[in-house]
Amino acid sequence: MKRIGLTIDGSKVEAFEGTNVLRAAEQAGIAIPHFCYHPGLEVEGSCRMCLVEIEGLPKLELSCSTVVREGMVVRTATERVRQARRDVLEFLLAEHPLDCPICDKAGECRLQDYYDRYGPYAARMLEARERREKKAPIGRSLILDRERCVLCTRCVRFLRQVTKTGELGVFERGVRSEVGIFDGAPVDNAYSGNLVDICPVGAITAGDFRFKTRAWFLERKPSVCPHCGRGCAITVESIKGYPMANGTRRVFRITARENTAVNGFWICDLGRDGRHDIDDGRVTGLMKKGLPAPGLSWTKALAEVAAAVRAVPGPGRAAEIAVVLNSRMTCEELALAKGLFVASLGLSKVFFADRKPGDADGLLLTADRVPNGRGALAAGFAPRLPAPGELTSVRLLLMFGSQLTEDFAGETIVPALAAIPSRFLFAAHSGPLDRLADTVFPVAVPAEKSGAYINFEGIRQAFCRAVEPPPGVVPEGDIIAFLAHSLGLNPGDPDAC
Amino acid sequence: MTFTPSPAALERIEKTIALYPEKLAAILPVLHIIQESSGYIPRDAEAWVAVKLAVEPVRVREILSFYTMFRRVPGGKHTLRVCRNLSCSLAGAEDILDFIKDKLGIGPGETTPDGVIALVAVECLGNCDHAPCLQVNGVDRGPVTRETVAAIIEELKAHG
Amino acid sequence: MVENEVRLLPDDDGSWRLEAYLRQGGYQAARKALTAMAPEAVVAEVCGAVIRGRGGAGFPAGRKWGFIPKDATRPKYLCVNADEGEPGTFKDRLILLRSPHALLEGMLIAAFGVGIRTAFIYLRGEYAGLAARLEEAIAEARAAGYLGPRVLGTEFGLDVVVHPGAGAYICGEETALLESVEGRRGQPRVKPPFPATVGLFRSPTVINNVETLAAVPGIIAHGASWFLGRGLPTDGGTRLFGVSGAVRRPGVYELAVGTPLRTIIEVHAGGPPGGRSIKAVVPGGLSAPILLPEELDVAMDVDSLAKAGSMLGSAGIVVIPDGTPMLDVLQVTARFYAHESCGKCTPCRIGTSWIFKTVDRIRSAGGGPEDLDLILRLADGIRGRTLCPFGEGAALPIRALVTKFRDELEQAVAR
Repeated sequence: MKRIGLTIDGSKVEAFEGTNVLRAAEQAGIAIPHFCYHPGLEVEGSCRMCLVEIEGLPKLELSCSTVVREGMVVRTATERVRQARRDVLEFLLAEHPLDCPICDKAGECRLQDYYDRYGPYAARMLEARERREKKAPIGRSLILDRERCVLCTRCVRFLRQVTKTGELGVFERGVRSEVGIFDGAPVDNAYSGNLVDICPVGAITAGDFRFKTRAWFLERKPSVCPHCGRGCAITVESIKGYPMANGTRRVFRITARENTAVNGFWICDLGRDGRHDIDDGRVTGLMKKGLPAPGLSWTKALAEVAAAVRAVPGPGRAAEIAVVLNSRMTCEELALAKGLFVASLGLSKVFFADRKPGDADGLLLTADRVPNGRGALAAGFAPRLPAPGELTSVRLLLMFGSQLTEDFAGETIVPALAAIPSRFLFAAHSGPLDRLADTVFPVAVPAEKSGAYINFEGIRQAFCRAVEPPPGVVPEGDIIAFLAHSLGLNPGDPDAC
Repeated sequence: MTFTPSPAALERIEKTIALYPEKLAAILPVLHIIQESSGYIPRDAEAWVAVKLAVEPVRVREILSFYTMFRRVPGGKHTLRVCRNLSCSLAGAEDILDFIKDKLGIGPGETTPDGVIALVAVECLGNCDHAPCLQVNGVDRGPVTRETVAAIIEELKAHG
Repeated sequence: MVENEVRLLPDDDGSWRLEAYLRQGGYQAARKALTAMAPEAVVAEVCGAVIRGRGGAGFPAGRKWGFIPKDATRPKYLCVNADEGEPGTFKDRLILLRSPHALLEGMLIAAFGVGIRTAFIYLRGEYAGLAARLEEAIAEARAAGYLGPRVLGTEFGLDVVVHPGAGAYICGEETALLESVEGRRGQPRVKPPFPATVGLFRSPTVINNVETLAAVPGIIAHGASWFLGRGLPTDGGTRLFGVSGAVRRPGVYELAVGTPLRTIIEVHAGGPPGGRSIKAVVPGGLSAPILLPEELDVAMDVDSLAKAGSMLGSAGIVVIPDGTPMLDVLQVTARFYAHESCGKCTPCRIGTSWIFKTVDRIRSAGGGPEDLDLILRLADGIRGRTLCPFGEGAALPIRALVTKFRDELEQAVAR
C-alpha cells in the first residue's frame, strides 16, 4: 500500500493511501474532535465537529471525509478551527439538557470533554429547548433519552451497516428530528450492546448499567472474551475499593476493545453478558460434599488430593486416575496439565468437558463456545468427553470445571461419578456436581487470570488479569503447580516413583 | 385490522414499483397512491408498504414524518393549503389566514369538527404572481380575497 | 422584450400539445442531435453556449455533463429538478404547464449527449396538479417516437418517469434529490463523491433544472454563439425572470441575461403600483440576500449579483414596498429555513431553529440590540460550516436583513 506524505500542524506525517485526514492525524498523535465519525461505519459528515483548515481550500473541510493527498497541508489548531469547534459545541449544548448529575455518560462524555477543551463560554441560549421523551425503551433493555441525543446517527448506521437489522430510524426533520423505532419492532439483535459503546453522549444507556455506578470509579483492564472461539478484545470495567449498592458485583461493564485482526470494533451481547460469568454463581470457598467448609484450609485440602494421587500405585494410575480438563484454561495451564498429568504421572484418561457448540451468527460469534479449543490442540490434547464406561475402573477423579454434566443426562453420568471413590472438583461456578465432589475448590474465571488463548483462526492472544479474584479463589494453573510440588514432581519429568 | 389497498390502488402500486430499479425508490409515489385512495396513511398501511417494498417498517415511518404532505391521521374531506411565504405575506396572506381561522374556528394543522375542511399553512407554492394564493385539494387558486375565500369555503361546505 | 422570435415560453396555455409544439419547429433540434451530431459534439455545443444552471447554483450545464465518465458500465441517469421550492420562484411551473415538450426535448438531447437511457422528473408534491399534463405530454412524445426505445428511428432510447415529491424544500438540493428518489429522507450527501460518478442508485447521474433543459433545444437548433449572443459572454442566453410582490404586472419575463434589475422591475413588471415605492428587493429567491433601492441597477447575471453580495439564484424577484415591516420579512425568512432544515448537520439543524425562536420572541415580546447581534453570530456559525448550501441560503439573507435594516429592527423590537 502506498504511503502518502503530508503535513499536519507543522509536522511531517505519513499515512497509507486512502486514509482520511482524521485518522492520519490520530495516528500522528493529534486528536480531532468528532461525534458522527466512526472508523467502523461509513462516513456521515453531519456533526461538523471535525472541520479543519486545508491549505489551498477556502472553506474549512471535514477531516473525516477528506482523504490524504501527497503534500497536503492541514491545520487543526488555528483560531478559525477553534472557533468552528466552539460554535458546533454551542449549537449542540443549546439543545441539550444539563443532565450530567444524573447521566451515566458523565466522565466519558464527548460533550463534557470537548466543552472542557474548547470552552468555557457564557451560554447564550435564552429560548426554550425542545423537550422530548427521556426514557424510551428501544429494545434489549436499552433506554433512549431523546433530549440528550445529538443526532450523530451512529446508532442508526450501526444497525443498518453492521448488523443489517435496521431497527432504528430518524423521524421528523430539522430540530424536531429524533431517533426511534417502529412500534412493535424494537432493537432485537445480539450486538445491541455496541449501541451504548458508540453513543458519544448519554442518549443510549444500558438498563444493566443505568444509575449503578460512575465512570470514574471504574478500573478498566483489557482482556479477551472467553465465551466463544473468536476471543474478542474486551475491556473489563470493575470497581476497586469503593462501596457499592450490590454487594458482590465487581464488574459493572464489559465493553468492546478494538482489534483489527480479531473482532474489529465490536463485541456481541453474549460477551457483554459475560460479566455475570465473573460475578454470579461463584464458588466462593472450599466445600465438602457441596457444603461450605470454613474450617478447611487450602493446604490441607490440596494435601488430601496429593495423598489420593499417591495412594494409587504407579502402574495402576493410567486405569485408575481420570482427569477432566476444559478449554477455558489458558495455554500455560494446559501445558502444566499436560506436563503433570500426561508426562509425569503417565495418565491416559484425560478428557475435556466444554460448553456445547451453538450456531455461528455470521458476524463475530463462532459455533465453538470455548476460547481455547485451538490451544488444547496445540498443547497436544485430543479433547473429548469420557464415555461413562471409561470411568468404571477409576478410583480418583480430578475435574477442572463444572461442564461435565452438560452433555449427559443426569442418569448416565451421575451414577458413574458416584461410583468413583475419590472425587475432586476445581470449579469457578456452583453447579450440580458440587454435592458429588468430596471437595470443591474455588477457581478463577478467565478475567481473573493471566495467560494466553489461541482463537479459532489460530491467533494467539495473551492477556493479563483484569480483575482480582475474590479472596481464596485461585487459578487452575496455580493448583496444578502446587499439586506437582506436593508430589515432588516437575511437570514434564516422568515420575520415577 | 390489516390494511388492504383497493384493487385499483393495488394495480397502480404494482405498476409504479415496476418503474424503478430498486423497490424502495417507489415509496413516495406508493404512499401518494394510498393517501389518494384512503384519504390518509393508515397505521397498518405502514407495515404493508414495508413488506411490499422489502424494507424495515421504520423506514416507512421515517418517510411519513420527514415529508410534510402525508397525513397520518384522517384529515378533512377537503384540504385548504394557505401559503404564508414572502410574496403571499406581502399580499396579505396573514390576514387571509386569520380570516379562515375565524370562519372555520380552527387553526393551521387542524380539521373542522364536521370533518369537512382541513387547514394547512404551507411555505411557497410556486404561484407567486397570483399572491396571495392557496390550494384547494391540490388545485391552485389565487389571488384570493376575503370574499373569494368565503365563497370557496361555502362551496366546500355545500359539497359536504 | 426579446427582438428575436424564438421564445421559451408561449404566452398562453393553449399551445402545450405536441401538435402545436411541432408547428413551431419542435423536436427539430432533437432530430439534428440524434441523427446528425455525435454525442460529444452536442455536449461541446452546450458548453460553448455557457448556459448556467437555472435552478439556483448557476453551474455551467455543459461542464456538468462533461463530468460524466464516458466509459461507465453501469446505467446512467438524468434527474430533472422540478422541485421548484425557492420562495418567489414560479418559472418552472409555467414551463411545465405551457411548454412541457421543450423540457422533454431538452432532456432527450441531454440524455443523448451523455449516454443516458432513463430519466426521472422530480416533480415537487405541491405541483401534483401539473402531473397529468406532463404525463400526457410524455405519452404524446412516446406515441410519436420522440421518447421510448428507438427515438426517431435511431438506436438511442430514453424512458421518462415522473417522480412525485412530498413537501420538502431541501429535495431541491441535488444530492438530497437523489436520496429522495431512492426512497429515503431527503438529506444531502457528503461530496465527494459527486453525482457525476456516484449518483442515483450509485450510478453516474446528471441533475439539471427544468429551465436549463428547456433551453437546450434552442442551443442545438440555433447554435452556441446564437445563445451566447443573447446574453453575456460569461453567462449566455435569456432567462425567465419571475417578478412578484409589489409590482403592477407580476409574472414571468423572458429577458437577456444581464438585464438590469431595475429595468425588469420598472419597465417590464410595471414598477410598484400607484403611490408606492420600493423599500427592498429580493433578487433571486428568498435565499438571495436582499438589495436596497440604490442597489437595483445591478445586472442580472450570476457573476454581477455575486459581486454585489447577493445571488441570481432562481431569478425569483420579490419587490417589497414601502411601509413593509422588515421584522415581518425576517420572521417569514427565519421560519422558512427552520421549517425546511432537513436536520442532518448540526449548525443548520440547531442554528436555524435558534434564530427563528429568537426572532419569534423579539417580535412578540420585544428585544434589544444584543438579540440582533446574537442572530448575526448564529448566522455566522452556520455559514461555511454546513453539509450543503442550505446553510448559506439561510444565513446570508438573514444576515443581510439584520445588517441592512438594523436601525428599523432595533426600533421595532425596543421594549
